[in-house]
Amino acid sequence: MLIQLIIGALMIGSVYGLVGLGYGLIYKASGLMSLAQGDMLMIGAFLGMTFYKYLGLPFIVSLLLTMFIMFMLGMFIERILVTKLLAKGAQTVYVILCTISISMILQNGAMLTWGSNVMQFPSVFKTNTVNIFGYEIIPENLLALGVGIFCMLALHLFMTKSKFGTSMRAAAQDELAASALGINVPATKGAAWGIASMLAGGIGVVIGPIFGVYTSMGAMIGQKAFAGAVVGGYGNMYGAIIGGMFFGFVETFVSAYLTSSYKDFISFGILIIVMIFMPTGLFREEVME
Amino acid sequence: MTKLLEVKDLNFHYGEIHALKGISLDVYEGEIVTLIGGNGAGKTTTLRSISGLIGNITSGEIRFMGERIDGLKPHKIASLGIAQCLEGRHIFGNLTVRENLDMGSYLRKDSKVKEDLDYVYNLFPRLLEREKQRAGTLSGGEQQMLAVGRALMQRPKLIMMDEPSLGLAPIIIQGIFEIIKQINKDGTPVLLVEQNSHAALQIADRGYVIETGEIVLKDSAQNLMRNEKIKDSYLGAS
Repeated sequence: MLIQLIIGALMIGSVYGLVGLGYGLIYKASGLMSLAQGDMLMIGAFLGMTFYKYLGLPFIVSLLLTMFIMFMLGMFIERILVTKLLAKGAQTVYVILCTISISMILQNGAMLTWGSNVMQFPSVFKTNTVNIFGYEIIPENLLALGVGIFCMLALHLFMTKSKFGTSMRAAAQDELAASALGINVPATKGAAWGIASMLAGGIGVVIGPIFGVYTSMGAMIGQKAFAGAVVGGYGNMYGAIIGGMFFGFVETFVSAYLTSSYKDFISFGILIIVMIFMPTGLFREEVME
Repeated sequence: MTKLLEVKDLNFHYGEIHALKGISLDVYEGEIVTLIGGNGAGKTTTLRSISGLIGNITSGEIRFMGERIDGLKPHKIASLGIAQCLEGRHIFGNLTVRENLDMGSYLRKDSKVKEDLDYVYNLFPRLLEREKQRAGTLSGGEQQMLAVGRALMQRPKLIMMDEPSLGLAPIIIQGIFEIIKQINKDGTPVLLVEQNSHAALQIADRGYVIETGEIVLKDSAQNLMRNEKIKDSYLGAS
């Protein structure tokens, strides 16, 4: 029982972590906030399901194709919409409002395209459970956890070892110096939005088989991920993962040992307490001005 | 000697403020040219408009190796071979020393990057010692070395330096000017902006004096040092 709970908590925690990491990435790169992250997850889930269930593509192909499309969508939003708004002198709050509008449009668009019912995402594996060290575990949970951890590691390596990833960190810290060195700063911002949306969309595909696919699925996950990102220290990628894991564990164990009706009450109660006592989050982050 | 950089009748506005009023200056191959002037005279604005870092100029022309570069995006201008050490150093504090230098060679795909890294570490052995350290933990002088080293990693055809001596101890300033001379001897032309006019004129071939957005004087560095007006306004009692 405990092992299953821990795996479940890690799984949902890595979902929050990955989506939350996207908030941090966007904030670091552009000093802005996108409130459409949760809906990126939802759109990803719908796209993945469509490719897998209706077009009959292999799961891995569906996943990668979805991630590619989501990357382009995220970059499009930054390059076309956000940049245009900022060029016209829009305040940050209008950009945030713009992302809320995008969130609504995505939800409504999904409803028009796929309907308002919960859709079933067919299971990826033939067996219902796998036996690991004597514990019965749902393989889709392991898949989601595995993809989550893989994405985090891949992103970490990309940001620290690749030239482009390093240039993204450099540009986030000092745009002027980065430009003078020949770094295309607008492109790094677009990439950050693209990666944020790609990660959320990808994780949407792997949790589709676990939770089903529906238009409002991203809303709650998006909020928890946001909360995790704040608890971890907004703008810190690693903090977002820890914060997300924290929420995953709190809600899983509260549901299991108390009652699931209280899980959000307790999770968000903790969020407020953390904000009061540690206003910079667990990991203090030097954010850009 | 071939003309590398040519600025002709450059005007620049910050909103309503007419910051540069018809600046003209040239840099030839092999030279150290200095632009001296007081606080707020327009030195930094001149360098930043050459690099395209502050948006479009109002009027005038900037040419690099004969080609117009005004209006280009900053990363394009950098890719043509113009490096700039910004005023206040602007190193990436959260990146390591090595990562900062790697960002200098960001655009390069040639095989000489390693050679240049050795060159920079040879100029500044301190940076090699601190290669893996976060750049934010360096002292002011070391950060200035890193800013210069990072610009050198671009293997620029022209290096522009904005107040490299700012906020540094005299002994370190001396070292920085030695390095600038060395860099120039090794083949890179330098456009140097300084408030420390004395030190700048000592290493420069030619100089321009800028006052409230206008070039009021241009001459060889030697003549400028002997000029009574310059002595009074910029060189102190010396």
